[in-house]
Amino acid sequence: MQFLGKKIPSPLTLASGILGISFSSLQRIISDGAGMVTTKSLSLEPRIGHEGPVIAEFEGGLINSVGLTNPGIHDGLEEVEKFHKEFDGVSIVSVFGGNAADFTELAEAVNHSSANFLELNLSCPNVEDEFKRPFALVPEKITEIVSAVKAVSKKPILAKLSPNAYDVAEMASLAETAGADAITMINTLGHGMVIDAIARRPVLRNNFGGISGPCIKPLAIKLVRDVYQRVNIPILGTGGVSNGLDAVEMMMAGASAVAIGSAVYDQGLDVFKTTRLEMEQFMETHGYSDYSDLVGILEEN
Amino acid sequence: MKRDRQTIPIASIREENPSLRTFSFGAQLKALPGQFVMLTIFGQGEKPFSIHNVTETSFSMTIKNIGPFTNRLFEMNVGDLISIRGPYGTAFNQESGRVLMVGGGFATPPLYFQAKVLRNMDIDYLVNINGARSKSDLLYVSGFQELCDRSLIATDDGSLGHNGTSVDVMLDVLKEESFDQIYISGPEKMMKAAVEVAKSYDIPFQVNLERYMKCGVGVCGSCVMDPHGFILCMEGPVVSGADLDKLEDFGVSHRDKTGRVVSL
Repeated sequence: MQFLGKKIPSPLTLASGILGISFSSLQRIISDGAGMVTTKSLSLEPRIGHEGPVIAEFEGGLINSVGLTNPGIHDGLEEVEKFHKEFDGVSIVSVFGGNAADFTELAEAVNHSSANFLELNLSCPNVEDEFKRPFALVPEKITEIVSAVKAVSKKPILAKLSPNAYDVAEMASLAETAGADAITMINTLGHGMVIDAIARRPVLRNNFGGISGPCIKPLAIKLVRDVYQRVNIPILGTGGVSNGLDAVEMMMAGASAVAIGSAVYDQGLDVFKTTRLEMEQFMETHGYSDYSDLVGILEEN
Repeated sequence: MKRDRQTIPIASIREENPSLRTFSFGAQLKALPGQFVMLTIFGQGEKPFSIHNVTETSFSMTIKNIGPFTNRLFEMNVGDLISIRGPYGTAFNQESGRVLMVGGGFATPPLYFQAKVLRNMDIDYLVNINGARSKSDLLYVSGFQELCDRSLIATDDGSLGHNGTSVDVMLDVLKEESFDQIYISGPEKMMKAAVEVAKSYDIPFQVNLERYMKCGVGVCGSCVMDPHGFILCMEGPVVSGADLDKLEDFGVSHRDKTGRVVSL
């Protein structure tokens, strides 16, 4: 199958933020069955991120507030170069900036790398105190940043959107009009808070964080469906996918590829292998010959 | 998803020396030597710590005061609440033959725990080498003496035991005696030297590694070691000889809090 013209062995993709610092993790995840890997969001300067605990579990999934920990674009792209050296794998470099100028500077740096795709993280929920409202919630910011990056980027661009926008399909449409080549959706939901009742304290040091895991899957699937019906560019669908059937559902809703994040917490890196196997079994049982046959085939009642 | 946190009061605090304290908690923790927990101080942060001892109804950690987090911990009192998740990671294996333990500095708590476990399973012969900068930095001197057939000491300043490092003593011991297994826990440069010695005698060994860990559960990527993406918080911290050979950054580099590679 293909994604944005690039041949990939599987639609399964490592979502940004999970294990995506080092070339060795990224290579290992491709070897474990992923078709593409996304780096942690890289910023112009290195960032330590928030103090721990940065992750808290609850019945339906996780909340996290990592705060965009990353080694900065310079060191991050060195890892990307090491990833591609004598290794066959497709990379998505996620970047994060505080304004359109930051994003274009980041895009220009990525131009000079071996990265395959550029993902614009417009939707991190954990740095509002520092960067104000996430860009993915502000229509004119989506247009401004995506157009500015499109003007300089030599790599296909994915715009990563938030489920917190009132009309996510409209945001996707704005990104498409501004030149996005694909949509990544959804980033984590909320903010959510997990409380430690004995201590009368939130578990996360940052008090609240983005919600991920199985509980956000129905929302992700509905939003992917809405966006699929609205735009003509491919969707990298993510949100609560933890097995093969989840991934099939996400593709039927309209995703061309599927990213996995929080399920790594529960299942380890085996999740890529098992999910891929489960997808293949489903397709064989139900008569689908290629992953791409699944995309958008949902029939609504 | 799994829930493995316990919020509990500090049951007791024992001062080992001005910068080292053992914190005990009255709760069960099913941990093995070498494993660690993530300890939260509410409003402060969360850090990983090796376990020093467990009983049916309690567990403890010996912690060195090295920065803002441990400064805050050292201000806390019996009865104050902390939160623990874990235990996480791999443990030392449990050999029954002739065992040598080589420890350095404040990385010896897992070896003390291991000595207790091995002694409870009637190990044949157990030797411990306990190294530190100075006499006052040595941990569990009498504890190791009770548990081990031989308990040797090395201090950098010669204030107690051999004047030198635990690796110097290791070399001396190996000239006289043979062992089936070596367990190593200390500063990385010291471990690197001890590993070379163990290899030269062709004795199986395990080391207890340390890297910056933020999540402890294999998702944040802070502790990953190159070039195979070894996830130390889950696949370590205790690593056997064969696996250690695949970790090219052992003794060379680690990642800082942002993920940048920096030399050791």
